[in-house]
This record gives sequence, C-alpha cells and structure tokens, in this order.
Amino acid sequence: MRRSLLVVVGSGGVGKTTLAAAIGLASARRGHDTLVMTFDPSLRLKDSLGVGDEARAQEVEVAAGTRGRLCASLLDARQTFDRLVQRYAPDPAARDRILANRFYDHLSGSLAGVLEYMAVERLFEVAREGRYDRVVLDTPPTRQALDFLEAPQRIVDFLDSGALRIALKPWFDEHGRLRGASRLGLIGRNIEAFLDRIVGLELLRDMAEFFQAFGPLYEGFRTRAAEVQSLLRAPGTSFILVAGPGEEHVPDTMFFARKLGEAGLRLGPVVVNRVHPKELGSVDGEDEAARLLRWLAERDRRGLAALRSLLSGRHRLVEVPLLPEEPADFASLDDLAGRLDVLLDGSAA
Amino acid sequence: MKAGFADGKPAGSLLEELGRRQLLVVTGKGGVGKSVVAATLGRLLAQSGRRVLLLEVDPRESLHQLLGVDPSGGEVVEAGGGLSLQNLPPRHVLDDVVREHLRLAPLVRRVLASPVYHHFVDGAPGLKELAVLGHVQRLVRGWGGRRRGHTDLVVLDAPATGHSVSLLAAPRVTVGVIPHGPFGHMATELAELVADPVRCGVVAVTLAEEMPVQETIELLDLLRGRLSRDPQLVVVNGLYPRLAPRRQGASRQNGAGLAIRRRRVNDAELARLREHWRGPLAELPMLPLDRGRGLVSALAPLLEAALARTVEGRP
Repeated sequence: MRRSLLVVVGSGGVGKTTLAAAIGLASARRGHDTLVMTFDPSLRLKDSLGVGDEARAQEVEVAAGTRGRLCASLLDARQTFDRLVQRYAPDPAARDRILANRFYDHLSGSLAGVLEYMAVERLFEVAREGRYDRVVLDTPPTRQALDFLEAPQRIVDFLDSGALRIALKPWFDEHGRLRGASRLGLIGRNIEAFLDRIVGLELLRDMAEFFQAFGPLYEGFRTRAAEVQSLLRAPGTSFILVAGPGEEHVPDTMFFARKLGEAGLRLGPVVVNRVHPKELGSVDGEDEAARLLRWLAERDRRGLAALRSLLSGRHRLVEVPLLPEEPADFASLDDLAGRLDVLLDGSAA
Repeated sequence: MKAGFADGKPAGSLLEELGRRQLLVVTGKGGVGKSVVAATLGRLLAQSGRRVLLLEVDPRESLHQLLGVDPSGGEVVEAGGGLSLQNLPPRHVLDDVVREHLRLAPLVRRVLASPVYHHFVDGAPGLKELAVLGHVQRLVRGWGGRRRGHTDLVVLDAPATGHSVSLLAAPRVTVGVIPHGPFGHMATELAELVADPVRCGVVAVTLAEEMPVQETIELLDLLRGRLSRDPQLVVVNGLYPRLAPRRQGASRQNGAGLAIRRRRVNDAELARLREHWRGPLAELPMLPLDRGRGLVSALAPLLEAALARTVEGRP
C-alpha cells in the first residue's frame, strides 16, 4: 500500500480546516490510518474531535469509531522550531544559547514564513516516521497561501545567498566591539558609530550571536528543506484546492491553480465550498429577502460554470452545498465526509 | 461612555468621530468583506468633506474595482468626491527608503538587486508592517513633495494575512529589538500613533459566523492586552435576511429554510459578539450585487444609517 499525502490549500475563510477534518474522517472510514494536521480549528471542531492543546505536542487519537485510526495534531511554529533546535544543536550549551537569544525569540514568533516552514518541517517528520497511510494537511489561513509551499525553497535560497556568509563572520570581538573597527582607526570608529546610530549595536550583537550559534544547524536545515521539496512533489502527494462559491472567487481559485502548476505541484480535485443550493432559486415573492436568495443561487451557478469552463475537465470539480450550520459536531462531519469520499478515489493508500 | 471616545469632545455622529482621525485601520480575516467595508467607509468619509486616501497593501490589486477606477500601480489615483486610492505593497515602501537614503543610483541598484537585501526584507520581523505605517505617517503629515496636504485621513485596508493585530503591534516589536537610532525612533513614534485612539482608529470587520466572530473576540482581547485600546467600530457584514413569518411555514419545501437557519446562526453569533463588545457595532446586510462600484454605492447609505443608529445607543 502506497502512502499518500493530501494538502488542502485555498484562500482564507473558505473552510479549509473543516474540509480537511472531514476528508480525514472519510479516509479513516475507508480503513486507512489517517492523520489530520491542522492550524487553527474552531473551538467547536476541536471539542468534537476531542483535540485540546495537548495536540500541539503530539498527535491525539480521535475516537471516531472508524475502521482506520484517525489522529489529529495542531501545528505550532514555536514548538516545532524549538524541537528542531534541540535536535540539531551540537551540544547543550549551543542549544541553550540559541533558545535564550533575544533575536531567536522574535524570529521564531514573528518571522514571516516560519509558521509555514515549520508546518512543512513537522509534516516531514510525520511522513518519515511512516505511522499513517494517509496524512491530510491543512494550510495556514493566508491569502498568499502558497507562501507555505515556497517556505522550504526560501530557506534554501537564504542559505545559498551569501547572506549567511556575511552573518556568520565573527563581527564582534570578545569585548563586544565591532571587530576590525579598531584596526581601521578613525574610519572604523565612524562605521561603528554609524551602525550604532542606525540600528543599535546591541541588535547587531544579538543577530551575530544568533547566526553563529545557529551555524552548525544550517546543514541540517538545508538537507531537510531539499527533502521536503521532493516530498511535496512525490507521486503519493496531491493538492486539494478549496474555493469559495460565486464568481468573485474564481480569479483567486485560478490564481492558486496556476501557482501550483508553476511550482510543479500536482493539483487534484477542486472543491467549491458553501454553494447556495439551486432550490433557493425557487423561493417566491418579490420582497428583498426572496430576491436576494434567488440571486445567491444564481450567483453560485455562475461561479461554478465559470470555474468549470476554466478548468476544462483537467480537474474534478466537487461541489459542497452551504449547510444550515458550519459542520462541527460528529454527525455533520460524518455527513460531509460522505460527500468528500470521492476525493480519495484518485489518491494512493 | 463609549469605548475609544477619549478625546473629550462632545459626541457628534460616529462618522464625524471616525473622520477626525489621521488613520483608520480596517482589519478582518479573508472572506469577510473587509475591502468592501474599507471602500464604503472611505466613500462616506469623503462625502462628509474629508480628503481621504484609501491605501491598499496587497500586491494583487482589487480595491480599484470597488471604486470603478484604473489600477493604482503604486500611484495615487483620484476616485472622485475627495477620495483617492493608492496600492502600495510594503516592498515598494522599503525600496523607496533605500532610494532615499542611498541616493547614488548605482548603489541603489546594487542594493535592490542583492539577495541579502531581499532576504532581509522578507525575514526581518515587523519590517514590512513598519514600512506601511511609516508611509501612512508621511502621508498625513504632508511629506513626500507634491502630495503635501492632500490627505486628511488614510483608510488602510489592512492585509488579511497573519493576525490582524500583527500590523498594529509591529512598532512595539521593533522598539523591543531596535530601541535606538532612526529606526528605533521611527518605531517609537509609530507605536505611539497606533496606541492613540485620538489619532488612529481601528475598525474590525467580521461576519456573524463562528470562526470570524471567534477571531474578532480574539482581536478585541489582543488589542486590549497588547495595545491597551479598543476598536472604534465593529462592522458585522453579510447578514442573511430575516424572512417574513408567513414564509417560514412553507420553508421546508422551497429552500428558504436554509436561509432561515443561516440567519439564526447570524443572530446567535451577533449575541455572542455582543457579550464581548458593547461599543459601536454596525450591521450590514448581504446584498444581491456583485462585488464592484454598485455594491459600494448601495452599502454607503446603509452603513451611514447604521453608524447613526449606533451613536443614538440603539445598535
């Protein structure tokens, strides 16, 4: 049995997380051991999956009564980053230096792309351990959601760019003075004063110390980033694109589809979520409410038609109707899982 | 006393209150109609006599469609009636800073082409956010040459990426890392600007649905916790209509039942939001109009009426 990885992508607010959970449930119902990795589920969804904060540290088994095992985990950038440092640091002293560094503190919490990179990183750990037949990965709620896919490449680029060589130079001597500044005499002191004025030497010292402490980890990062790249392009991996209903979402959806193609990633089915059903079109009456409901039904038909013609049969289009409430309890997730089971047809495992 | 009205002036209409600020940050997650609300608010404030610049920082331009003008491409585009539009990805702001500081063209070219610079811009925590806020400050102060004095108020359509509070918290983060020097000084000033409800207003946009409301409640907590402030206004967008009672009976067979239950979710979530937010709240209905200029024109009087109701204490 070949292992499979399904990556659920799409713009913010289209319902990726709920769909990822339902796809995981469908997979476990088919008898496959499945892990759903998610970022930010709603409180109700967390409750019904029985997933609390402990899922940040490890996978948690969901009592779903399915033939296959269903597990869930929550992705946490800082925790994954810390774990990585712990694994790759050459010795405990280096590890503590990094973890206590002020720059690291800011970096791991707020650096653009860290969350995305860490998600991929964690994904790789899970894939390598091979404890699941299928992994369903939810992606962060951003408009530029492909940041997530580009994160490993950005890290590799960074390592290759020379920024590292500069950063790794021992800039400061043991007295915390800029190295070389004293040798350069007046000019050197000017440079030092200039840098101090612009950003503050304190920051530069922190940064230099951080990059030096991080030095021994780079090779590990680099290898890992390359491995992640090939995992995302492996034969068992495919992407499920979730789209909002209505014509206004079509450009966004096509943008994603194009970006995935350009990145050499395999796009599987496209799911159009929360489609207003045709029946709304038969609401009678001339009041505003009735007109709005008819318009919504018609708008979403237009959206589907536009998308279908743009995708021109290259990808399966799966329509999920707007439900009376966002599925969060087990019964409604199960119902949704039934609708999404078709997504697993072309997938390995 | 309504949250945020700390300037001690007698309360005029909420629209006037908002218009007195230098900067209005319109925040909200993707898919809640944040840009539509930003454009509508900009239109209304311009109608009230302020010179308003709508600032978009998403590299994929879309606000121009809502105003019926050409894409900005980085320039200021007049949208009529005292309203103008500019799309300025943070990256461009930073490139401008480099141009200004280095002056020598060959040096500028080398820096802008350097991978080190690219990674620095991509990687430095809070830098892009800081650049956007810095640009806003220059606009309202009338710096930047010929644009002097042409903007009373900037309405910022905040990026939907990341948590909406990260833009507002960026100056503080930077002050923590770079306490001194021109950058530190600029960050300190900007931190003061965003913390000051007299100069900077925050408008949170949401849908009356579980996740968006949850995120709005988190935003309120973060604003209080990290910036010690409240938003000036919460806009609840895209409400389903209330169907007339006579239709409720026949709902099962004709599909209207779905709309009735969606409205019920809206009402429950509105109530939940109300438990956490007692300040000004404006409700906007879903309208049978495609995203575009017509939608903004139709929403403007509805938002104006909602704002008027808010101040009279009948939200």
